[in-house]
Amino acid sequence: MLSHFSFLDAGIVGVYLLLTIIAGLAVRKYVGKVEHYLVAGREMNLYLGIASLAATEFGIVTCMYTAQNGYKMGFAGATPGILQTIAMLVVGITGFCIKPLRDAGVMTIPELFEKRFGSTVRWLSGVVIVLGGLLNMGVFLRTGGEFLLLTAGFNPDAFAQSHQLEIMMSVLLIIVAVYTVLGGMLSVLVTDFLQFIVMSLGMLVVTVLILGKIGWTPLVEAVQKHHGSAGFNPFLMERGWEFVLFNLCLQFAVVLTWQAVIQRVLSAKSTKTGRQIYAHTSFFFTARFLIPGLWGIAALATLTPEQVGGNTLYAMPKFLSMFLPSGLMGILIAGMLAADMSTDSAYMLTWGGVIYNDILAPFRKKREWSEKKGVLMNRFIVAMIGLFLLFYGLWYPLKGNLWDYLGVTGTIYLSSMSVLLIACCYWKDANNWGAMGSIILGALFPIGFLVLQQLPATAEWAQEIGPYKSGISSYIVSGLAMIIGSLLKKHLVLNKQNP
Amino acid sequence: MSFFWLLITIFCIAWYFTMTFYVGVRGFFDIKEMLLALKSNDASNTKEE
Repeated sequence: MLSHFSFLDAGIVGVYLLLTIIAGLAVRKYVGKVEHYLVAGREMNLYLGIASLAATEFGIVTCMYTAQNGYKMGFAGATPGILQTIAMLVVGITGFCIKPLRDAGVMTIPELFEKRFGSTVRWLSGVVIVLGGLLNMGVFLRTGGEFLLLTAGFNPDAFAQSHQLEIMMSVLLIIVAVYTVLGGMLSVLVTDFLQFIVMSLGMLVVTVLILGKIGWTPLVEAVQKHHGSAGFNPFLMERGWEFVLFNLCLQFAVVLTWQAVIQRVLSAKSTKTGRQIYAHTSFFFTARFLIPGLWGIAALATLTPEQVGGNTLYAMPKFLSMFLPSGLMGILIAGMLAADMSTDSAYMLTWGGVIYNDILAPFRKKREWSEKKGVLMNRFIVAMIGLFLLFYGLWYPLKGNLWDYLGVTGTIYLSSMSVLLIACCYWKDANNWGAMGSIILGALFPIGFLVLQQLPATAEWAQEIGPYKSGISSYIVSGLAMIIGSLLKKHLVLNKQNP
Repeated sequence: MSFFWLLITIFCIAWYFTMTFYVGVRGFFDIKEMLLALKSNDASNTKEE
């Protein structure tokens, strides 16, 4: 394959990596307490919050699945981004759930649940959050590695045999892990800021170049030719209503309870700053789907099916490897490395924070740990997550659409946590019976779907059900379990005690 | 429908371009302020001890 990756590009990438490591390590001296490590001492202001939220929520994996959506669905593939913008704006303006959450002064969502539903629910919430989050993040490294190698012009078969991908992934993860382990949220914020700028410049330059060189009309014509009207209107797609409804539930749940997003609200200087971060960043989520979506559509317009091969995930990086000139290739790869590193570091810290704060909470009950021991334990957990990612990322065989996999694994906890959070903040009759039922049933559907999808005997059946129906069912069942469980306890137990 | 996507794309690029520069400048001062606040908190904690 022809690629324009040159020494100039390698130099740009090298300088960027060096700057990131220096910035990430420079702030580690400010970490003295667990609160500094997990939520930056709650000193994050608006613009740093916007940069951090945008950088965290855009990784190479995001770029890959949104471009795949563009290639496979046309412009309609950017619908989840528009839905997330709406959700973010509504929650940011009204303060729905995030206001009481930030006002409570907690470091994680399960910590808030303990106040209402007890310590068992806090622990169980921590377990499903970490389970869903780590399964979700498990595919980040491999997908990121595939993008970088394909864009740099390597052949997918060649890198599968030579382990180039695994070596590159390991080096990248070690760099990210070093500054995240040492500096926690402070390193994440400072490097996120740097990564936001590099990533955004890379994305903007590439998009303007695509629109300038290929033009808008050929992109529209390619979508019309391959997808017809469904390429512009998501409701006309196959299972279009299911797609929109599932993504609407998913995006509202993400905005309310995705720990990596919520951690920005919890690290904010005040509740008002947290809400402003949401409202001001909201439109970024449309850009997050639309810009790489355009790159995917450009691949659809310019590459033949033979050039793309069997995997549509590779269409966009293959297109970029042939399209971008030397120099710009370096800016793009530095930008995408920036995007990936900021996501990996923030996610490692996020799930690590839940393990420390909630899953290990029972072990701190008898004797409170010192701040020094707490920081040390957090560093150890983040390092262990790094190791897990390295091994899980190497052996999990991804089947189907990447966005669907991420949606399904995220739903393992998003469905129940969003129900619990809403009930915790606004329903006075909600109790631990409803919460437990909601967590268990909310996780059952997506996990069941993933298992059915992997077993040869049931794979066809899973395909018939599809990820959207399984996801929507999870939200409905989770909500019903909360209502029925809470009312049942109220009538059976509480009424018995107070006849 | 393609006109709708054209409008969104133009707005998206213009908004993202402006945001990158604005956040790039203001975010730098936020980092400075955050690190100063953490440093002064640390100093006052040490004094109290």
